Amino acid sequence: MTAISRRLALIVGGLALAAPGLALALPAIGKPAPAFKALDEAGRVRSLSDFTGKTVVLEWTSSDCPYSHKHYDSGTMQALQAKAVKDGVVWLTVSSSAPRNEGYFTAKTARAWRVKVGSHATAILLDSAGVVGRAYGARTTPHMFIVDRAGRVAYMGGIDDRPYQDPESLKGAKPYVANALADLKAGRPVADPVSAPYGCAVRYAAA
Amino acid sequence: MRFLTGLVLALMMALPAAAQPSPSQVSGAPARHVTTELVAERQAIAPGETIQVALRQRIQPHWHTYWRNSGDSGQPTEIKWTLPAGWQAGPFTWAPPRKIPVGPLMNYGYEGDVLLPMTLTAPASAKVGDKVTLAAKVQLLVCADVCVPEDSDLALTLPVTATSAPVDPKWGPAIQTALAAAPKPVGLVAVFQPRPAGVALAVTGAALKGADLAGAYFFPFDSTVIDHAKPQAIERGPDGLTLTLAAGYAFQGGKAPGGLAGVLSLGGKAYEIAATPGAPPAGASGLGPPPAAQGASGGEGASGGKGAGAADLGLAAAALFAFLGGLILNLMPCVFPILAMKAASLVGHGEDHGEARRQGVAFGVGSVLTFLALAGGLIALKAAGSAIGWGFQLQSPPVVAILALLMLAVALNLSGLFEVGTSLQGAGSGLASRGGSAGAFFTGALAVVVAAPCTAPFMGPALGWALTQTTAAALTVFLFLGLGFAAPFVLVAFAPALLSRLPKPGAWMELFRKALAFPMYGAAAWLAWVLAQQAGADDLAKLFAAAVVVALAGWLAGLAQRRAALGGKPIVLTGAAGILAAVAVAAVVWPQNKAAELPTEAYSPARLAELRAEGRPVFVNYTAAWCVSCQVNDKVALSTPAVAQAFARHKVVYLKADWTKRDATIAAELASHGRAGVPLYLVYGTGGGEAAILPSILTPDIVLKALKAADQGASKP
Repeated sequence: MTAISRRLALIVGGLALAAPGLALALPAIGKPAPAFKALDEAGRVRSLSDFTGKTVVLEWTSSDCPYSHKHYDSGTMQALQAKAVKDGVVWLTVSSSAPRNEGYFTAKTARAWRVKVGSHATAILLDSAGVVGRAYGARTTPHMFIVDRAGRVAYMGGIDDRPYQDPESLKGAKPYVANALADLKAGRPVADPVSAPYGCAVRYAAA
Repeated sequence: MRFLTGLVLALMMALPAAAQPSPSQVSGAPARHVTTELVAERQAIAPGETIQVALRQRIQPHWHTYWRNSGDSGQPTEIKWTLPAGWQAGPFTWAPPRKIPVGPLMNYGYEGDVLLPMTLTAPASAKVGDKVTLAAKVQLLVCADVCVPEDSDLALTLPVTATSAPVDPKWGPAIQTALAAAPKPVGLVAVFQPRPAGVALAVTGAALKGADLAGAYFFPFDSTVIDHAKPQAIERGPDGLTLTLAAGYAFQGGKAPGGLAGVLSLGGKAYEIAATPGAPPAGASGLGPPPAAQGASGGEGASGGKGAGAADLGLAAAALFAFLGGLILNLMPCVFPILAMKAASLVGHGEDHGEARRQGVAFGVGSVLTFLALAGGLIALKAAGSAIGWGFQLQSPPVVAILALLMLAVALNLSGLFEVGTSLQGAGSGLASRGGSAGAFFTGALAVVVAAPCTAPFMGPALGWALTQTTAAALTVFLFLGLGFAAPFVLVAFAPALLSRLPKPGAWMELFRKALAFPMYGAAAWLAWVLAQQAGADDLAKLFAAAVVVALAGWLAGLAQRRAALGGKPIVLTGAAGILAAVAVAAVVWPQNKAAELPTEAYSPARLAELRAEGRPVFVNYTAAWCVSCQVNDKVALSTPAVAQAFARHKVVYLKADWTKRDATIAAELASHGRAGVPLYLVYGTGGGEAAILPSILTPDIVLKALKAADQGASKP
């Protein structure tokens, strides 16, 4: 679609539409994390405010993405989830894939995937409309965000510093998320609060 | 449009993968989306010689592989050589990338047939007459609506000859072409500067003089420096251009990267640039945006850029959409009171069709001319060198704040708190009520003037696009916007049947006007939310304070108007209202003086004990977001540069005990110091002992003395 048609469609459509839904946000470190409400795989409504006072990890995933596979097939993701949850951290795995797209979850397929990979996540959020994803500017799977106990964005970016799908790349990777969680647990400021996210593009529904 | 894209994608997905033509498909082997091979510029290599070889990718239609910065997702293609001792291969010479949008994301990569050249050097000891096989493992990610990693083990076999071998007739010229097209530094000078509207990247140099800049686009090497999916506004200058880029992660928290390196693509040509921090030179801007490119897809990619393949809608379609947009403007609540006023006058002429027609035409001419005048003004402003495009204005927090205040003022006006400034209303409605064609003309003009601010949030992007086109094209778009806006009214004037059906004016109009205030309050609330996303809680608080002042100013203005209506001269009231409104606007626009950010740590009794055991001086700030005096102390004392320097000089650790939310530990600490609440400031000296308690109202001087004393050992200053 050309720039012209998209822009001009705005003249007609933009009057009625809520403009902020069109673009991806760019959250800011130290600022309040965008609030959200979404259904999880068990049919419960989950919102960020449910977890006030707790550290919350948001992990964007796609069950069909080679990069998410790298972390799940090797078990590193599940290990990180297990450790975090044990420390009282809330771990929310989010799928923002639109229906008929790579990694789209229904409650049923999400439950099956959860069992299959042995996820330790607190919940899997079904965000096929992309509302949560757009609010956080989630770009890739995986794309990781950590919200601190005060509800502020404490980390955003990659799960580590190796933007490759080759499982060999896990060796010697700098585990940004694990480090950030350790920093938060110890009451230290997060040493590397921002890194480049990497992976497959989040398959958003057309806006 | 998106719907069409979605439909096409859905259709593509519905096709079984096997049905897609795959050049590499060998019976039995899995279908691949990219065929890779290694090719060489020459038929052989001599000992000690360096030749060019290349990785060739033939990518299936609709699929893409990635550039060195893959953009928002994806992974650059990699090659790992396994070479005999002494042989060396260089890195890829990357071909100019193209933009590949994926939903709201942006990727940089390649489609079709692409050559990535690299150097290959034979050792001087290579044995003439040998045939060497050079192996390489290629790892790449190829994506369409799904991503597939495709690895391949490739080999290149080259004879070693005594002298330089002839050029390979097939690959020699192709590799030379690829090398010639690859972006190179050509002495362009580039600087960048973070600004509120985005990062200004100014590039100047001989190569840009007189060049067609309509397709200019910056592809950064680093994936964290810009928000790839955001448009890059182009401003031309006599010596080059300035691009306004949306800042990426690397600019978080007020930091800026040390450099901005990448490829500046001009559609057909691409240059390598490395920008350093600095102020853009005067020659990089001032000539406005480039005229419309031949085919608006110029910016879609360096290698011909056919974009998403959709047909260019062109100016005619732009005009059509503008007309529809103008029609919809009639539904804006801001316009309604004025239209209602005019409708009343039309109803009055219900019997006199000739007069109604004359008024209809005059109204149309008035609104169209006003639209053109507004457009002319904006174009002139841009030509005068305002670096920021209209479309970017909503990205600027002060503009959003002002619009929020404006929406609030309009809403208060609709609610009846005050009337639109007596002078303006006098001019507008005075002329408008004059009756006849002149009155209708000015009503049209007034309706546009009043509608313009209301439409800004919604029309901003579209008008922004119009302003990046040639002056003639921009004026055409505005012309049709005006025609669309005037159309319903003119139509009513020319159709007596419709005219007689208009509701009779009366008290319901006042009621309706008051009801219309609520969408405007809603618009103000929405803009406040936008501001909160952009600038955070501090700026939101400032906006709310300004909103209260605006409401107060509106009330005073209303009071003044009522006194004036009774024959009084309420100069003081009018003046006070004006000053308050100006103060409110100034408050949200005034740049916050950069508070010195003090590095703080979260307080915990354990951390305090640890620091004291180390003999470090410690400052503990018991604070809360809702505590006003805490915030005042923060601003006037703790965040001043002198205090920040003192913290650093005396190596005082700043612990922040945040009591914004209930916290039993902090409450107990407060109680142990005889306090029931915040603020409480404690300073522990290097010498141990009890903490010094600072007064609840801080000045920089008090803090400076306390920090100095703490460093010298004493807790008590």
